[in-house]
Amino acid sequence: MKSFSRNLWAATSLCVAIGLGCVVSCQRSRPPTSEPTWLPADRGLRSVADFAVISDDDERSRALFLEVAKVLQHDRCVNCHPAGERPLQRSGEPHQPLVVRGEDGFGAPGLGCDTCHGESSYLNMPGSPHWHLAPLEMAWEGKSARAICQQIQDPQRNGGKSPAELAQHMTHDELVAYGWAPPEQLEPAPGNQRLLGQLFQAWLDSGAVCPE
Amino acid sequence: MKLSIEVNGDRHDIDVDPETPLLWVLRDELRLTGTKYGCGVAQCGACTVHVDGRPRRACVAPVRSVVDKRVTTIEGVSGPTADAVRKAWVSIDVPQCGYCQSGQIMSAVALLTKIRRPSDEDIDHAMSGNICRCATYIRIRRAIHQAAGDAE
Amino acid sequence: MSETATRVGVGRRNFLVTSASLILGLTLAGKNAAAGGSPLTIVRGGDASPDLFIELRPDETVAITCHRSEMGQQIWTAMAQIIAEELEADWDRVRIVQAVGHPRYGDQNTDGSRSVRYNFHRLRVAGGALRTMLERAAAKRWKVAPSSCRAVLGKVTHPATKRSLSYGELAADARAQPIPAEGEIVLKKRADWRYIAKPVKSLTVPRIVRGEGTFGMDVQLPNMLVAVIARPPQVFGKLKSVDDSQTKQVSGVVETVTLDTPKPPAHFQPLGGVAVVARNTWAAIQGREMLELKWEEGPSANYDSETFAQELMAKVRKPGEVRRRRGDVAAALERAAETVAAEYYVPHLVHSPIEPPVATAKWDGDEVTCWACVQAPQAARKAVARACEIPEDNVTINVTWLGGGFGRKSKPDFVAEAALVARAVQAPVKLVWTREDELKHGYYHAVSAQRLEAGLDSEGRCVAFLHRTAFPVIGSTFEAGADQPSWGELRLGASDTPFAVPNLQLETGRADAHLRIGWLRSVANIYHAFAVQSFVAELAHAAGRDPKDYLLELIGPPRHVDPNDEGAEYDNYGSSIVEHPIDTARLAAVTTTAATMADWGRPLPKGHGLGIAAHRSFAAYVATVVEVAVDEAGRLTIVGVWSAMDAGTVVNTNHAHSQLEGGTLFGLSNALYGQITAKQGIVEQQNFPAWRVMRMNEAPRHMETTIIASDAPPGGVGEPPTPPAAPALTNAIFAACGLRVRRLPIFGPDRRDRLAVEGAKQ
Repeated sequence: MKSFSRNLWAATSLCVAIGLGCVVSCQRSRPPTSEPTWLPADRGLRSVADFAVISDDDERSRALFLEVAKVLQHDRCVNCHPAGERPLQRSGEPHQPLVVRGEDGFGAPGLGCDTCHGESSYLNMPGSPHWHLAPLEMAWEGKSARAICQQIQDPQRNGGKSPAELAQHMTHDELVAYGWAPPEQLEPAPGNQRLLGQLFQAWLDSGAVCPE
Repeated sequence: MKLSIEVNGDRHDIDVDPETPLLWVLRDELRLTGTKYGCGVAQCGACTVHVDGRPRRACVAPVRSVVDKRVTTIEGVSGPTADAVRKAWVSIDVPQCGYCQSGQIMSAVALLTKIRRPSDEDIDHAMSGNICRCATYIRIRRAIHQAAGDAE
Repeated sequence: MSETATRVGVGRRNFLVTSASLILGLTLAGKNAAAGGSPLTIVRGGDASPDLFIELRPDETVAITCHRSEMGQQIWTAMAQIIAEELEADWDRVRIVQAVGHPRYGDQNTDGSRSVRYNFHRLRVAGGALRTMLERAAAKRWKVAPSSCRAVLGKVTHPATKRSLSYGELAADARAQPIPAEGEIVLKKRADWRYIAKPVKSLTVPRIVRGEGTFGMDVQLPNMLVAVIARPPQVFGKLKSVDDSQTKQVSGVVETVTLDTPKPPAHFQPLGGVAVVARNTWAAIQGREMLELKWEEGPSANYDSETFAQELMAKVRKPGEVRRRRGDVAAALERAAETVAAEYYVPHLVHSPIEPPVATAKWDGDEVTCWACVQAPQAARKAVARACEIPEDNVTINVTWLGGGFGRKSKPDFVAEAALVARAVQAPVKLVWTREDELKHGYYHAVSAQRLEAGLDSEGRCVAFLHRTAFPVIGSTFEAGADQPSWGELRLGASDTPFAVPNLQLETGRADAHLRIGWLRSVANIYHAFAVQSFVAELAHAAGRDPKDYLLELIGPPRHVDPNDEGAEYDNYGSSIVEHPIDTARLAAVTTTAATMADWGRPLPKGHGLGIAAHRSFAAYVATVVEVAVDEAGRLTIVGVWSAMDAGTVVNTNHAHSQLEGGTLFGLSNALYGQITAKQGIVEQQNFPAWRVMRMNEAPRHMETTIIASDAPPGGVGEPPTPPAAPALTNAIFAACGLRVRRLPIFGPDRRDRLAVEGAKQ
């Protein structure tokens, strides 16, 4: 697989961190200890601070990704990163009715995602601006945390995103934000989007090591 | 709250909660009852309208979301594609009870506007959101193909 | 009216147009029907007095009163075709007036596939009578012999003198003519038919495609309020307490009305609960969500579908009450070279017409007028009268278009609800059922268990056929505690099995009902045909025979079967068994036709299979062949469907094909996905897709239908296509991959849509 080299990856993430105004140091050798800016653990998602006790860098990096994966592997995210042409819904059932990715991820001609999904969740209907499916190469359905980890570092399978862009996507993308703002009948993703962003960034900073 | 919406080319000043589904504004306030209630959860497609030319389930569209947009209902949908669809529907006698057919027609017009000669698969992908409990699917498919030929 | 228009800020013109078309569509008709003096009050099928059904208007239009409900079967068109045929009316001038519910029309219950079956002769006579009167009126005007005058397409002509008068011009004179006796009316010869047995265009479709026409949901009255009801979770559950303070905060909510809890039997009584009445539908729905309700459980609080399925199956594993007997099945089973047994289960189903039940009621003193999408307006009239404790004559039921019926709308509980709520709030009220209401508070198709046993001789021929069936009965809805399958339910595919076997027995088991049990399109035929026609294919497999050949062998030589000769009480769907015999030749003919259409026996690609089933119901015969493809992952595709129907004389050939298509797909949909379950007596399915119906992408892309040309009297058309669909499908699945589906639905609620074939991931 084509992957960012560790150095390039780390270097890029430094820029990201600066670019985002993040105060986190990105030097691998310094574990993030007792940083006052870490967001607290929230609804099943741990704080970055909780990982400080892991002294081994690689081990901490792996653990951070597993934490990130709690969100990425959650139904709210996987459902629109399906392995086939049809998205999933609720707890991973095939989407009813049949809808398909279409050429651009926005659905089939005549039955676009926006036929039902509006700018925000409304009544029982999930919503977000630009509601659409991830491309097939970004499918997460049925994949292990390790596989997803490798996948999102592969520009061929992450939409050509740099680590900076990935971090940006995780932290600020409106559609990602939906994961925590579904309609009432659906379980939100663990934690919150800012916490995910911190965990993801911490993972980048720790060397972006994939779990076994 | 006072809102102004455009439906079938006419402006309507209405006084409703902006969170009200468009469906009930059309039906109860504007008396445009061609747009049907079937499930209220965007599963059946009976309430399909066009918003700025794109299909939209009116039961899950808050009326605030269509302010400054063009809403078209079965009563107002027009043009060569709509004409061809209606003609095919009548010539084949597609509908049975007819209750879902406003939505079927709105979806079919949306499909044919995007794809002039849809394949069977295109039809499956565009029409799967419209339930017909009378199960007129065989004729809907035939009519879409026929309308595609007529519209050319 | 203008007040309403002002309130919603719509142009007055717009509203007036809507309400005017409503009034036009629902005009009272037949009010001046001849009460006396008609020699046609008793002809076969009922009163054929012409003014009950036909009004000739001065503008040359012919107003035809349709006393049956239009729910997609195109009964407006069919009734008009029959009358216009004998009247020699000009089709372009035919207008339909929908009849109110009234006994003067005779039976109006639009179910049981009997509109044409019961009314064909009667309406021909009515049309022919008025044609005769027109000819006589013209003859009188011209002072010529009536026999020299001829009615053709809206005019009476006197060919000898080339004179003619239009129906409009003759209307008054014709009315003054005495109504002829049946013997004086010469009905047209079949060869001269111009409308009957022709693909006449639908009278409703041109309006449907413009969003016009008034369904029950579309009724609007000035100052009308809208109500939805929170009903007890279990049937006969009681309201303990209600707090509506939050509800009343919802903008648009007017008030709440508590409805009494009914006493068993359920009949067509409202279920009780709390109605939220509002100025518009959305406010009512939102207001209902805000109710704080406490319920006392109903007596069915222990009803659990999974447990019940086991109990029901246990009943058919034991001998039951014998309801039909030929020969000695026990002895023949004992002697058989091989015995085969199989058990089948079909869950509760629900109608889910795409328009849920809805009714509007308006009181004037102690009289109430209702507008509703009812299949049975006379039953609605009775139900309203009973619920409101007023005479039936104080109730007027206007019938709107029905957005599907399938049997749900012949149960008028919702009309009674509308009348009660409207009276309580002293305003016109539209009582709306949401989809959730429709699924959770229905009259459900009975869950059923069946066991079939057969004995085969050394040649594989069936020599003994035992059928046991058990299901909660429809009678329980009308008589508390009823638990014995009625003859009316057994005649639906159990007591009328027409097989040429020397020993045959039908046994029934008793079962308690825990939901309101009703009837759904083709009723018990659904489960009986599923079991019997699946079992036929299982026998063929056991005998190493082709399933189609084996089915034909079981149907046997051409003959008439009468279950009354074998201990059954068989009423033949209310039709004469002489006119509508159980004719095995016709059943064999549709079987052969469908098989030929499908090119039965052709080589099939790997993973494909053909299944066949044939069934007589409602005095019509349908055979269906299904081709499926099953891949290694267990994914199912319905590749093609071929159906042949012999419904005797068919009034509208095009629309009969529509029914054959739709009715077959309705059956396939039930088989694939249909399942209503209860836990603690509460129906679990809230809305689509928990209750799932077939969609475009799941429907076969290829379907061919044949309507057998026949001079026989009309049979049913709307229901007969449904029963053979499910077994044809499951037989095809068996042929494709060796999986025998004996428990429906084929796909469970996980919605993964995988058959349990080897290698299939669930």
